[in-house]
Amino acid sequence: MTRRGRAAAAAACLLAAAALAGCAPPLRPLGPLSQVLQQAGVNHAPSLSGRWLALISGRQGREQVLMIHLQSRRPVPLPGLNRPDAQPVSVSVDDAGEQLALVRQLDGRTELALYRRSTQSLQRLPIDPPGVPQQVALSADGRVLAVQVSRGGLWGVDLIELP
Amino acid sequence: MNSQGRGQTRPLRWAILVFAPPLAVWLSGCGPGLRRRPAPSTGLGPEARQEPALSGDGRLLASLVERDGRTTVLLQERLSGRVIPLRQLQRHQPHSSPSLSWNGRYLALLVQRGTRRLAVVEDRATGRLHPLPLPGDLEPQRLSLSSDGQRLALQLVQAGQRRVDLFDLSGLLEPDRAPGQRLGGSAPEGAGGAAGP
Repeated sequence: MTRRGRAAAAAACLLAAAALAGCAPPLRPLGPLSQVLQQAGVNHAPSLSGRWLALISGRQGREQVLMIHLQSRRPVPLPGLNRPDAQPVSVSVDDAGEQLALVRQLDGRTELALYRRSTQSLQRLPIDPPGVPQQVALSADGRVLAVQVSRGGLWGVDLIELP
Repeated sequence: MNSQGRGQTRPLRWAILVFAPPLAVWLSGCGPGLRRRPAPSTGLGPEARQEPALSGDGRLLASLVERDGRTTVLLQERLSGRVIPLRQLQRHQPHSSPSLSWNGRYLALLVQRGTRRLAVVEDRATGRLHPLPLPGDLEPQRLSLSSDGQRLALQLVQAGQRRVDLFDLSGLLEPDRAPGQRLGGSAPEGAGGAAGP
């Protein structure tokens, strides 16, 4: 085999190996936003929708729900949502940035709630039949909630249609 | 009670009949118009189901179920329960953290690749599976795909420290927008709500 043939065969082998391994260039974080997120504290449980990122952010031993407007890279105020005695567990935001669904622990119980930003109101949503919510997902159009609920030691999913 | 007394109680009865039902709803914390549906059956009787995710339009539900002892993502139509086959996601269990784009074209989730977790996106329109490797020793724990499929938020762990980072997928995936949505915009035209910061 000629030198050019060997080089072509080696290149073909490398390409085949990369394809089988599912090789792709590594993802690169969006730099300026990542800086904002690192400054916010230790973050987890992200929910991305439209121009909004909601997450749970911890600083100095206290966790709270944070909502960041992606274009301005700034957190927006959420009056009436975060409480020093509440521990957020899961959060989900809709595309308009109007509704935030939330699972939180408060007074020794775990509850599901819906926060509306335009009215700064927090509405508790009862789990029926009773159960313990763990994780919530809000559809981007803000019309449906899917909630992971524990009942009798079994995880299930409740679907709630919002008005 | 005389006839005058009965006349005075009649408006009170009407007031109770008119206002009691909405008051009861309000006190129960439900709010008007809240409707509940059980999640559609998986076809295997009562079984555990975790980590639900909805498409942006609420039409599709992804969740995790046990299949042959392996945690596997299941995609269904929310109302009918019809199971939608996922060509590329029969392997690489356990699956975790599913997330759907607006019309459900893209399903992002974490899969097992060897000893590591890997974020992937299945494009249901083309049948392609896009692996999303991370630089260095970053390990993904949870993800959220934006409704248009153009960004990915990843909860990562590096050297035991948890954090969230955002990644741009616009060079990899076509947008999957809501019908009537502006090019370059995020909210559907005419959409209400608190769109501004």
